Amino acid sequence: MAEVKFYDIGEGMNEGEILNYFVEVGEKVAVDQPLIEMQTDKMVAEIPSPTAGIIKAIHFDVGETITVGTTIIEIDNGQKNTIPESAERTEKSAAVIALQTEQNTPQTNSYKRILAAPYTRKIARDYGVDIENIQGTGPAGRITEEDIHQFADHSTATNDTPNRIMDQAEDTIPFKGIRKQIANKMNHSLKTIPHVTHFDEADLTELLKLRKQLKKTGENISVVAFFIKAAAISLKAYPIFNAQLDEENEVIRLAQDYHIGLATDTESGLMVPVLHHVSQKTLREIQTEMKALTKKAQEGKLSMTDVKNGTFTMSNVGPLGGTGATPIINHPETGIMSFHKTKKMPVVMEDEEIAIRSIMNLSFSFDHRVADGATAVAFTNYFIELIENPSKLLLELV
Amino acid sequence: MVVGEFAEKRDLVIIGGGPGGYNAAIRAAQLGLGVTLIEKKQLGGVCLNEGCIPSKVFAHAAKKYATVPHLSSLGISTGEINFDYSRLLKYKDKTVNRLRKGVETLCAANKIEIIHGKANFTAENRVGVESGHQFDTYEFNHAIIAAGSSPIKTDFLTDNSGRILSSEEIYNLKEMPKELLVYGSDYIALEIAFSYRSLGSDVSLILDGKDDFSFDHSINRELKRMLKKQNINIHRGFHLDTISTEKNEAKVHLFKDGKEKTITGSHAYLTTRQYAGAASLGIDRFGIATTESGFIETNRQMRTSIHNVFAVGDITAGNSIAVKAIKQGKIAAETIAGMNSEADLTFLPTIVHTNPPIAAVGLTEHEAIDAGYSVKASSFSYTGNSYATVTNEKSGITKIIKDEETDLLLGFHTIGAGAIELISTAVTSLEMVGRDEDLLFPLYPHPSFNETILEAVEGLTEQAIHVAPVGEKKVRMK
Repeated sequence: MAEVKFYDIGEGMNEGEILNYFVEVGEKVAVDQPLIEMQTDKMVAEIPSPTAGIIKAIHFDVGETITVGTTIIEIDNGQKNTIPESAERTEKSAAVIALQTEQNTPQTNSYKRILAAPYTRKIARDYGVDIENIQGTGPAGRITEEDIHQFADHSTATNDTPNRIMDQAEDTIPFKGIRKQIANKMNHSLKTIPHVTHFDEADLTELLKLRKQLKKTGENISVVAFFIKAAAISLKAYPIFNAQLDEENEVIRLAQDYHIGLATDTESGLMVPVLHHVSQKTLREIQTEMKALTKKAQEGKLSMTDVKNGTFTMSNVGPLGGTGATPIINHPETGIMSFHKTKKMPVVMEDEEIAIRSIMNLSFSFDHRVADGATAVAFTNYFIELIENPSKLLLELV
Repeated sequence: MVVGEFAEKRDLVIIGGGPGGYNAAIRAAQLGLGVTLIEKKQLGGVCLNEGCIPSKVFAHAAKKYATVPHLSSLGISTGEINFDYSRLLKYKDKTVNRLRKGVETLCAANKIEIIHGKANFTAENRVGVESGHQFDTYEFNHAIIAAGSSPIKTDFLTDNSGRILSSEEIYNLKEMPKELLVYGSDYIALEIAFSYRSLGSDVSLILDGKDDFSFDHSINRELKRMLKKQNINIHRGFHLDTISTEKNEAKVHLFKDGKEKTITGSHAYLTTRQYAGAASLGIDRFGIATTESGFIETNRQMRTSIHNVFAVGDITAGNSIAVKAIKQGKIAAETIAGMNSEADLTFLPTIVHTNPPIAAVGLTEHEAIDAGYSVKASSFSYTGNSYATVTNEKSGITKIIKDEETDLLLGFHTIGAGAIELISTAVTSLEMVGRDEDLLFPLYPHPSFNETILEAVEGLTEQAIHVAPVGEKKVRMK
C-alpha cells in the first residue's frame, strides 16, 4: 500500500485546494500518471502517482483545502507496505497484542506510531498543530522540537483561522484558493518588510520612437520588453536590489542571475510568472516569452517552474491608468517597480524650449532593511537613463 | 417514582466510579472543577471489586505457594504446608475493602460529591439518578461517561448450578474447584488457569477457537512450555458448542473441523463478550456515535460526538483494561479543565500475572515484519541471568525487536520473573523513540532482572556476555 501525500511543492507552501481528481477508486494507475490537480499558491499543480497500482481510497472531496503532509490517496501496489522515505510509518497492524477473545470488542487501536517523545508531542499540542502532519528530521525519523517550531511558524502564518464563512443574508465571496493565497502573501510581505516607495518619471519619447521604427521593419517589441532588459542591466549595477535577505543566517544573498517576475492580472487574481535568465536573452526572445507567460497566466496554465525563483518584480499597470502606486514587494525579493500611464506632457527641454514629450511615472518599492534611499534613487536614475536613451541600452547588450 | 421537576445544577458529572471515573473525578477536582460522581454499586468498579485486584490476590497467593518448596532449600521450614481457601477469600475481601476505602477517602478529601444510584440521560445536558423511590435530575456543564461494560449473559451463564462461572463469580467461589475448565485465552483466563492450578485445582485450558496465544511467537512457545510444566492441559482450536451441568459436573462440548470433544470438570469458567452500557444510560437516544457493538467512539481527548459529553474506559471502543481507563479519565478531566492533553494507547503494555508473569509492549516480531521493517530480534534467556539463579526463577526470556535500518526499537516481550516491573523501561524507551544504543549506554543494577533487558539489547549486536557465542570463534594464538 502506498500513500500519496500532498508534499511541499513550492517555496513555503503549506496548504492547497483539491481542484480535480484524474482517477477514481478502483482505477488502475501507472507510475507518474497524474492523480490530483491542486490549487496552491498562485498556481495549479498536478500530483503524479508514486507507484503503479490500483486506487484504494480517496480521502478528500474536490474543493477541500488540505495541509502539506496530508495523505490524499491510497494506492494498492501489491506490496504489503511500502516504507516511506521518512521513518514515520502508519501501518495498520495491531500494536497491542490482542488479548481479547474472538467474542470481545473489536480492536480499534491501529498501530500508528508517532515518532516523537512525549514532551515534544506536548509542544505540538500547545502550538495547536497536528503532529501527524510533521515529517521528522531527527534520527530514525524522529520529530524534534525544532521540526515543530518550524512547522508551527509556517502554518500560523497561513492557516490558523477557522474557515467559516458567515452564513447570512449577504453576498459572500469564498475567501480561499488563489484569493486567500494572495492575501497571505501580501500580508506576510507587508508584515515582515519595511517598505519604502520612491517615485520618479521617465521620458519615453525616444523609446517609443525606436519601437515605431522597429515595427516598420516588422519587429513588434513592446516597451515592457525594454523595461525588462533595462531592469536586468540596472540590477547588475545595483545587485543589492536583486537580492534576498536571509535573516536567520544573517546574510543578504545576492542572486547571480536575473529572473524578472511580471505581475499579471488574471480572472482569478494576481499572478506573477517569472521570465528567467533575462540577461542571457535577446529583446526578441524576451518579447516572445513574455507574451507566452501572460497567456499561460490568463488561462491558468502556469506550471511550477513558471512562477519560481523570481529575483525582482515588475508591474506594468500603465495600460489600466494611474499616476502612482506603492507596490508591495513579492517576498522574499527586495524590490518591485511599477509603471504607470504614459501621457503626453509639455516639458521644458535643455534648450529652454517647451516640447511635447511622452512621460511615464514609475514607483519603486524596496526593502529598507536591505538598502537605503540613496541607493534606491541611484538605481532608479540609472534605470530611467537606460529607458530614456535606448541607444545606451545597446552599449550594455551582451 | 417521583420525577423531580427541578434540575439541580452541577459543573462536572461523572457516571461510574471505577478506575476511569474516580481518576477523572480526582484530577478534575485538582483542577478546580466541581465534581459529582454517580455510582450504582461500589466505588472501584470492576477492576477493584471483581477484576484486576481479586485476580492479583489469587495470583500473588499462587506465586507464594509455589515458592514453598524452594524455601526449604534455603533452610526455612515452617512445618506442614496447608492452603486454606476460605482464608484467601477473606484476605481478598480485606484487600478489596481496604483499597475501596482508600478511594472513598481520597474522593472525600477532594470534596467530590458521591451520589449512589443509577444514572440515565434525560437530555444532552441532563442526567437523572434513580435511587430507590428517589429520582433527581442534574443539569451539567460537562459529563464523563465511565460506566464500564458487563459480561453478556449467555444461556449457559443463567444456569443456576453454580458450576458455570463468569469473571464476576470466579473469585467468589465458596470452595476451591476440583477440576476447573477455563475457556478463553486472554489475560484473565490465563491468570485463572495458573492461579487455580498452583493452588491445587486440576485445570484444563481451552483456547477459544484459536490455535495459539496472541503474544509474540517466542513468548507463546515459552508460555506453552510453562503450562505443560504446571500440568495444565491445553485444548487448541476448539470452539464452544454447549455446556451442560449435572449434579457434580460441568461438561463442555467442543467442536473443531467436524471433530467433537467433551471435557468434564467440576466447574467451568467462560470468557464472555462484554457489552457497553451506553444504551442503558439512555445516551444513545441523543445520537452519540458508537461502534457496531455499542462502544462509544472518542477522540484522543476523550470527546464523544456530543460536544459536552466525554467517555473513558471500558465503555469506549478498544481494549477493556484499567490502564486505559485511568489514563483516559485523567485526559478527559484535563481537557474539560481547558488543558491540552491527549491519550495515545499505541504503547499500552500487555500484562499477565501468570507464573512467571508476561509483559509485552510494541510490535511482535511477525507484526514488525508485516509492517515492513527490516527486523532484527534478540532473545535472552533467564538461565543466563545471575539473579534468577539466586532466586531460583530461571524460567523465561526477554525478547527485543528493532528495525535494523534505523536501529529504532519496535517491541519488547518478556515472560519471566519481574517482567511486569521491567516493562516500564520498555514503554518509556518506545515513547522516547529510543534506539538500541539508548538502552546499551545506561548502567544496570547487578545482579538484577534488569540485566535481562541489557543482555537482550546487547544480543541485537551479538555482544551479550552470558550467551554462548554463535558459531565457532577463532582464537588468535601467539
